[in-house]
Amino acid sequence: MTELWQAFTKALELLVSLNPEVIEIAGRSLRISGTSCLLASLICIPLASLIHFHQFPGKRALINIIQTLFSVPTVLVGLFVFVLFSRAGPLGFFGILLTPTAMVIGQMILITPLLLGFIISALSGVSKEIVDTATSLGASGFQTIWLVLREARYAVLAAVIMGFGRAISEVGCALLVGGNMRGVTRVITTTISMETAKGDFELAIALGMILLFLALIINTILNRLQQR
Amino acid sequence: MKGNWPKIALAVLGIAVIVLVLVMVLGRGGQTEPEVLKVATTTSLYDTGLWDYLEDIFEDRCNADLQITAKGTGAALELGMNGDVDAVTVHDPDREAAFIAGNYSLNATVNNTSAARVTWAYNYFIIVGPESDPAGIGNLTGSGVPEEAFQKIQIEGKADPDTVRFVSRGDESGTHGKEKVIWAASGYNYTADILGNGTAQGWYFSTGQGMGATLTTANQLLAYTLTDKGTFLAYQGSLDLVPLVDTGDDLINIYSVIICKNGTKPEMAQNLVTFLRSPDIQALVAGFGVPQYGQPLFYPWDPGICGLP
Amino acid sequence: MMKPLSSIIEVVDLSHSYGEREILKGLNLSIGKGEVFALIGPTGAGKTTLLRIMDLLEVPAAGKIYFDGKCIPRSGKQRLEIRRRISFVHQKPQIFSLSVYDNVACGLRWRGEEKNRIAGKVDHILEMVGLEGYKNRKARTLSGGEAQRVALARSLVLEPEVLLLDEPTANLDPVSTAKIEQLISSVARQHNTTMIMATHDMSQGQQLADRIGVLLDGKLAQTGDATDIFRSPQNEQVARFVGMENIIEGVVIANNEGIVTVGIGGSAIQAVSNCPAAKAVYACIRPEEVTLALSTTQSSARNSFHAKVTRVNTIGPLSRVEIDCGFRLVALVTRISVEELNLQVDREVYAIFKATTVHIMEKGISK
Repeated sequence: MTELWQAFTKALELLVSLNPEVIEIAGRSLRISGTSCLLASLICIPLASLIHFHQFPGKRALINIIQTLFSVPTVLVGLFVFVLFSRAGPLGFFGILLTPTAMVIGQMILITPLLLGFIISALSGVSKEIVDTATSLGASGFQTIWLVLREARYAVLAAVIMGFGRAISEVGCALLVGGNMRGVTRVITTTISMETAKGDFELAIALGMILLFLALIINTILNRLQQR
Repeated sequence: MKGNWPKIALAVLGIAVIVLVLVMVLGRGGQTEPEVLKVATTTSLYDTGLWDYLEDIFEDRCNADLQITAKGTGAALELGMNGDVDAVTVHDPDREAAFIAGNYSLNATVNNTSAARVTWAYNYFIIVGPESDPAGIGNLTGSGVPEEAFQKIQIEGKADPDTVRFVSRGDESGTHGKEKVIWAASGYNYTADILGNGTAQGWYFSTGQGMGATLTTANQLLAYTLTDKGTFLAYQGSLDLVPLVDTGDDLINIYSVIICKNGTKPEMAQNLVTFLRSPDIQALVAGFGVPQYGQPLFYPWDPGICGLP
Repeated sequence: MMKPLSSIIEVVDLSHSYGEREILKGLNLSIGKGEVFALIGPTGAGKTTLLRIMDLLEVPAAGKIYFDGKCIPRSGKQRLEIRRRISFVHQKPQIFSLSVYDNVACGLRWRGEEKNRIAGKVDHILEMVGLEGYKNRKARTLSGGEAQRVALARSLVLEPEVLLLDEPTANLDPVSTAKIEQLISSVARQHNTTMIMATHDMSQGQQLADRIGVLLDGKLAQTGDATDIFRSPQNEQVARFVGMENIIEGVVIANNEGIVTVGIGGSAIQAVSNCPAAKAVYACIRPEEVTLALSTTQSSARNSFHAKVTRVNTIGPLSRVEIDCGFRLVALVTRISVEELNLQVDREVYAIFKATTVHIMEKGISK
């Protein structure tokens, strides 16, 4: 228990003193996960709407696959991105492996099933009568979709928050495709992993607390939006 | 719509806060002018802090952005093969030879000579273990001490796995490679006798991780392990393990740098090679860690030990 | 095929099923511009389905729909354009989780109406339905009656050519019901909006509509004005539905210049009809047309029968009295009459009703 307390005080110390390295990796964590969450949301909200509002053969199977992918190990996604973007791989000419861009792509791939699955679920929670009412009031297809998204906004935002949480907390993908390079691709989670491997548990736990603290701030802001 | 204004304002404020924070922490690593050089290094060079120490100097001197990723030797060479990094610094002569033979390297120039593999530092492996030394390897003398020590560990470990244990890197790193060489020299078939039977008998453990993690694990299990001296000295403060065997030809540990043919920055990689072998940097390497640990963690390039060029 | 010029919506041979169940079977109906049409029928008869198909929410399994003389395609952008000229108030109003103002303004915004004009229209309609001052309230916090009025406002503000209403007052208390009914009539008069209203409340249909259609078992059993439907049902099913509790089988014995004598068991009823002799018929009499008295002297009615009371059921101010006069008859009288005549089981009374109140239906004409 003393280790936890020491870690907590260390976390406070690092934050209050605005330790430059901690600020740097925290900022990078926020940037990378924030970007991946934003981009993935922009893609998944329309995509989920498309899937939800249309009937097509294999729809059940698709949703099944999406939900199965909730359980994909982060390191597996990392491997996938690695193989794809390594210079020896098919998309190697982009040369983005071991850069923050690769980490954003990896995290986007990681949270897409989550966002899709939960946004579809959110849309399903809006009763068919609402859709009917909108249609009979003269809403076009797009107008109806926008209305349903608004009706489900609480649950949709919850899905986005969850996506962000999974992105900012994952290690396996970030480590593999980013390489934990100081000043370039080092984020909070890869640092925790490194410090743990080096045996500095106190610092690792302190960093973990800082990550949770950041998540708290972000979620508080998003919660405000949710209340509207 | 009037009732919504306070909420809109709050949302805008929230977004502004996020943007502010992001701008504030934009940090380093986003410069466009210096040339990026990606290097994969073995963890032993990294966990000691040597690379962090040398990184800033190199970046200033050559106007580069040095991006270093620390992996096991196997993973580092893999990155080098693919060309995902421009140079590798590792310490496994056999696998380096295979890398070069596979045509993945580019010749570097040093001292007006051209060579695929350029050595630049060395230190020693040591066998560390618990102070109580249950297998009794601490007082061995003569030649072939490492091999004798390994034999004793295997025999005692098999007899009493709760007291005598060995922790291995198990990650195809340079250190792991050296460990396997010593087991072979001790007369064992590594895969069958040590990895197979040893694990089954409960005295041999594989962490699959870097040197720091392996040392920590050995510390927890009160076990023996093979480590490079530099990393051990760097971690000594948080470990209860002590060095028990530090002599023997097999324990030499030579670090080299190789330019990767499939990389994109051959010239800057050459700069790195020149840098590592330049006299003033060699002096820094020699003095690294002395104030803190009382002894050097690394020794500068010595043609007698490291070979030419 | 020429359609009557004033028809705004017409369905021809409309059939629709949900899965295995056939809901509508070969329906034909034409609604005139500016008409107020009540669609009455028991629950499950298909009223909602018919309205939904008319609102182009669903494509019928078979049949055609015409709007303003033009046939409506089964898919395509035209359906949206036509749908925007129709408004549908559903049975249980689905209010969006927005403010009252935003709810009412929805349809206008979707049609691309200008912001200023929207404000004016919304304010006006909220006043009309009696919800001024509710503008910024969260619509989901309203009571049932208020929500129904928001739903109505939401549809009315669009100034539709056709307004469809599905049981608009089904879930409301009598006071709110009266308000809504008033609103519906005044809108109909002011804007000459065509209205099609589904209801199971026959008196509401009678009160508000120009024309009534009876939907039974997926088919339009009869259409006509209130008098036609309630006093001259065309078949037994409709008769039962419109509350003609007395449906007595008999045979026409004689027809004397429009006055027929119908033999029923041992008695005979006089009615006004063109039916020739020897026809098997149903004689239908509304219970409220049957008067009960202790003697027959004062009445000019042609039908008076000596009867015995078999049951008395008092509900509120009225009483339903079952009597046996050789055949079963039900009379609807006031509670006061019951008390004055001391009507109880086994009491002997006279049942009296005019020939003009007896409606003769030929047996065998149904469906």
